Amino acid sequence: MLGKLIKYEIRATQRIFLPLYGLILAFALLNRLFRAAAPESAESLSLPINVSAFVNGLTMMVYVALIVALAVMTLIVTIRRFQRGLLGDEGYLMFTLPVEVHSHIDCKMIVTLIWTVLSLLVSALSIFILAVDESSMQRFSEGCLRFRDFFRQYGASSYLILLECIVLFVVLALMDTLQIYASIAVGSRSARHKLLAGFGAFIGFTVVMMTVSSWIFNSAVGYPSGWLRAQLGNLARGLAPEAAVELALGLLILYSALFGVAFYALTNWLLSRKLNLE
Amino acid sequence: MPWELKPDRPIYAQLIEQLQLLVISGIYPPGSKLPSVRELAAEASVNPNTMQRALAKLEDEGLLFSQRTSGRFVTEDAGRIVQTKRDLAEKLTREFLGNMGRLGYDARGAVSLLERITKEEEQNG
Amino acid sequence: MDSILECRGLTKRFPGCLALNAVNLSVAKGKIVGLLGPNGSGKTTLIKLINGLLTPDGGTITVSGRKPGVETKKIISYLPERTYLNDWMDVRTILDFFSDFYADFNRAKAYDMLQRLHIDPGSRLKTLSKGTKEKVQLILVMSREAQLYVLDEPIGGVDPAARDYILDTILSNYRENASLILSTHLIADVEKILDEVIFINRGSVVLTSSVDDIREHEGKSVDAMFREVFRC
Repeated sequence: MLGKLIKYEIRATQRIFLPLYGLILAFALLNRLFRAAAPESAESLSLPINVSAFVNGLTMMVYVALIVALAVMTLIVTIRRFQRGLLGDEGYLMFTLPVEVHSHIDCKMIVTLIWTVLSLLVSALSIFILAVDESSMQRFSEGCLRFRDFFRQYGASSYLILLECIVLFVVLALMDTLQIYASIAVGSRSARHKLLAGFGAFIGFTVVMMTVSSWIFNSAVGYPSGWLRAQLGNLARGLAPEAAVELALGLLILYSALFGVAFYALTNWLLSRKLNLE
Repeated sequence: MPWELKPDRPIYAQLIEQLQLLVISGIYPPGSKLPSVRELAAEASVNPNTMQRALAKLEDEGLLFSQRTSGRFVTEDAGRIVQTKRDLAEKLTREFLGNMGRLGYDARGAVSLLERITKEEEQNG
Repeated sequence: MDSILECRGLTKRFPGCLALNAVNLSVAKGKIVGLLGPNGSGKTTLIKLINGLLTPDGGTITVSGRKPGVETKKIISYLPERTYLNDWMDVRTILDFFSDFYADFNRAKAYDMLQRLHIDPGSRLKTLSKGTKEKVQLILVMSREAQLYVLDEPIGGVDPAARDYILDTILSNYRENASLILSTHLIADVEKILDEVIFINRGSVVLTSSVDDIREHEGKSVDAMFREVFRC
């Protein structure tokens, strides 16, 4: 059933993202072509240089606007699909489907992750289209070589660190999404000011997370005699540098996952036990 | 024939009368097959369970009979239909007399009124 | 077991009001039941509890012996009082959606009803008029071969002609062993199709009876009875 939910969620959201992706890539390509063609065409068409510079600037501006739009749209879609799709009138349809409540959260969260990753890939690809030339290609291949050296030097550890980085990214992205969902779910409990209450909840959650983080940070590194600092010191003593990085990343993953699980549990509880559609 | 149901009497009893009327008037002739319960219920815009009850009652009375596989039929016994007709006529007449009684007519007064109206209609018609 | 719905001491509170107060009721299989009461009497709250859109604060509610959940949602076909159609699907896609999620959805039946109502399966839900949206929802709900149909105010906002069509659709698509609960305040229009009625007022059940019992014993229609019970 989760697969079916995801299928329809993707169909509902693709009509926003796919055209944006297309436009971004098209404008990156357009800008690139104009720049490549500018010196010659300006001469051959005897156009003043500033016209081609203008066109250049224009395509660049549209491109940047599109990238900003993509980032904003990802956020808006995340909020709207949850708010309208589950807690608005459409909730009457979704919550009477024969699926568990958590499947709805799983579905929205996974689809948001898919679009986030795709958006990043498309942005990266568009930058590549914009910037690629001989010197950048050379720098790129040098970078690749350096990566290879790194992998050679640290062997299995380097793969683990790479994997941990990916996992950390995924966990952080999911945690952010779940924080938004939990905020919306809390906000919808308010009779009148759902948006305001949701916004308040989001800030509240952020404050709690920052307080906890700063407490942990302080006891880990701030006070010379902190308990956590001692524990971490013991743990890190005698570790190779790569092992220390592995450990640090692992702890970060665990730490963010804990918040993610808390947001997930809160959202699920609110939607299954405290649901009250208007 | 439109199904007319009054609001103040049980629907079930009214359905029985209307079905009897359909048979007596020959709209469903002796031995003919009746539409299904659902069709009849939809036609009369009533609950299928109520229609079912009315049909079952008429079966008990012998006006209808059902064959397990092929459906429900009107009896072929012409005497039975005549009997139903007579019963219904008697019931309507009693109702009529009851209503007239409330207006202050006794049976005799009602009959003479009836005769006068019949005569007028014959002259007009 | 011959009841599809059982409520025992069912209670639901909202901030500042007791929406349902220890309601006991049971709906038999194969019956069409009218849930009748003035606005704000608790009809919709009860219906949401049946569909698992609310959680009870006290007492129990079971559908076919189970608490509301995935299993009960498989056998209940629910028409809410508002339109839940989203803005991105066309009619065909929402039919696909229903047949993907409900094993008892009869797609052929749905297409047949669409055709009779001259609704183009290719039209976007967003572009449909309010009345057509309501018809599409009724088609979706009645095309399921469910065990319990729950219709919240299905004839509330439509004109008398559409009302007849809706009641007709309900009658001709309702299956013999299924039960149907229908909430409304327009009693005169529906009483002919009901087996039983439940009168509900201020969160309590005040009367349950068969329609013909009311007519036989009181000598008046359910509508007249209702006006009497709920006289202001």
